[in-house]
Amino acid sequence: MMYLYLPVALTSINILLPIGLGLAVGLLSGLFGVGGGFLMTPLLIMMGIPSTVAAATDSNQIVAASTSGTYAHWKVGNVDFKMGLYLLAGGFFGGLLGVEGIKILRAMGNADFVIKITYVLMLGTVGTYMFIESLQSIRKTNTDSAPAKKDGKVGTFLKSLPFQTEFIKSGVTHSILVPLLLGCFVGILAAIMGVGGGFLMVPIMFYILRMPMHVIVGTSLFQILFTCIEVTFLQSYANHTVDFTLAVLLLLGSTIGAQVGAVFGRKLKGEQLKILLAVIVLVVTVKIVFELTMSPSLLLSQAGGH
Amino acid sequence: MKHPFRKLILALKLALISFLPLLAIDADAQLTARANHDHITVDFFYHGGTVSVSGISDPGTDLVIKVASEDAHQNLRKKGKVGGLLWMTVGELEVENVPNFYEIFSTKKLDDIISRDEMEKHGIGFPALRQHAVLNVATEEEKSKWFDEFVRFKSDSNLYAINSGNITLSEKNGMQNYYILTRWPYQAPPGNYTVTVYAIKEGKVIETATSNVNVEQVGIVKALATMAKSNGALYGILSILAALGAGFGVGLIFRKSEGAH
Repeated sequence: MMYLYLPVALTSINILLPIGLGLAVGLLSGLFGVGGGFLMTPLLIMMGIPSTVAAATDSNQIVAASTSGTYAHWKVGNVDFKMGLYLLAGGFFGGLLGVEGIKILRAMGNADFVIKITYVLMLGTVGTYMFIESLQSIRKTNTDSAPAKKDGKVGTFLKSLPFQTEFIKSGVTHSILVPLLLGCFVGILAAIMGVGGGFLMVPIMFYILRMPMHVIVGTSLFQILFTCIEVTFLQSYANHTVDFTLAVLLLLGSTIGAQVGAVFGRKLKGEQLKILLAVIVLVVTVKIVFELTMSPSLLLSQAGGH
Repeated sequence: MKHPFRKLILALKLALISFLPLLAIDADAQLTARANHDHITVDFFYHGGTVSVSGISDPGTDLVIKVASEDAHQNLRKKGKVGGLLWMTVGELEVENVPNFYEIFSTKKLDDIISRDEMEKHGIGFPALRQHAVLNVATEEEKSKWFDEFVRFKSDSNLYAINSGNITLSEKNGMQNYYILTRWPYQAPPGNYTVTVYAIKEGKVIETATSNVNVEQVGIVKALATMAKSNGALYGILSILAALGAGFGVGLIFRKSEGAH
């Protein structure tokens, strides 16, 4: 077995583990446009990496995976940079608000409980809705991947907002306020939950922004790239918890996984991608529910980070 | 014939006899301790090491060997049940006056060779550690519960251990040689560790000897660890650039390989 010592995590690891894990998470990332922190961070902790180092190093790794994935999607014209930038700008403010929000919630006491429950309910609802909706559209084989044409009240309301602009790559027209506010909303949640938010961003882009599924994946990756650059820097600067050696091992797998995922995703229809993502969101929901209800083997863990 | 000082002489004799063993021990006292491989270097391929401790002690003494880092302050997150249903973080546990690393080896089970008082006095065994430890909890009961959790947490990462019956003893020239070879866990962070050997007779520590083990990062491992700590901004920027480079690099490779067919 080939072991490598990690200078910041202060532990030794079998190199096949992070490379394999990187490959799997990179695949999901290239396929669905999510960062994969939900899978990566807990598995790294299971491998003996301190939780603070696991979270920080994961963001460094996502920088590589999402660069690789964004590049692959951009080559085939599936990145809407304009939309991505508006979402990013919103997400940046959301992140700042979220960090303040946690402080207020913590001060009120029992906040973690409320946050976790809200998150589980939200993921569960989004996952179930997506699953049913994409199942229905797959049955109606003739309809294409574009969401149902009925705009409804939300659609009418969105059209009535000022500053309408056209997003050419996505083929949609929205007020710039819409991506800004949605980005902000996901940013707040991501900061509070300590996860990237890809799982909420992708469904929001589909159901509210009405973007085509393939452009969503590329644009989401583009956005995740910048978020993770910011997080990596802050974690290195303030907490000294990024383990570069571990990040390199992870990205050896994840950059390749992201390419494979992007190629594989192109062969799937939007509806198929959507239903697969719905299944994964539901699996994650179940996993979190288990984590919350099963007695942990150890009642203590390393402190620090968020 | 009756000597006037007979009683006094008898008393002196008695006193001498009763003190003799003690004097004898002091005169022969030669507990020694030597840690071999006492400088452990940590490079990229480090996966733990071995440390051996050996020395001489009086025949018939039992031995306890303690390997520990200095007492420190430790912060941990507590998990607990909220609302009688969900497990989540319920606060921080601060533990004061306990080492980060603590291992005990002994010739026999601790309780069979050394008294509780002596264990407490010399910080031998988990009950003794608990006695010294200061935890940010309200009651003794809570302290006991969370200290046990603390020991389980540390044992899980190979930082705390109590082993008995694994010291090899042999007689030579009327002295007792002891030897122990133990695996040094890679989880033990760089730093200085003190090896203390206690010679025990009739439940009491009669002698101690110490030695040191030093764990040090070297080469690139040291350079990376130092940079991450002392120059976080540059370290972060380099990590990001490397990740960006790797992402683009792999992207280009795939583009070429796809273009080829």
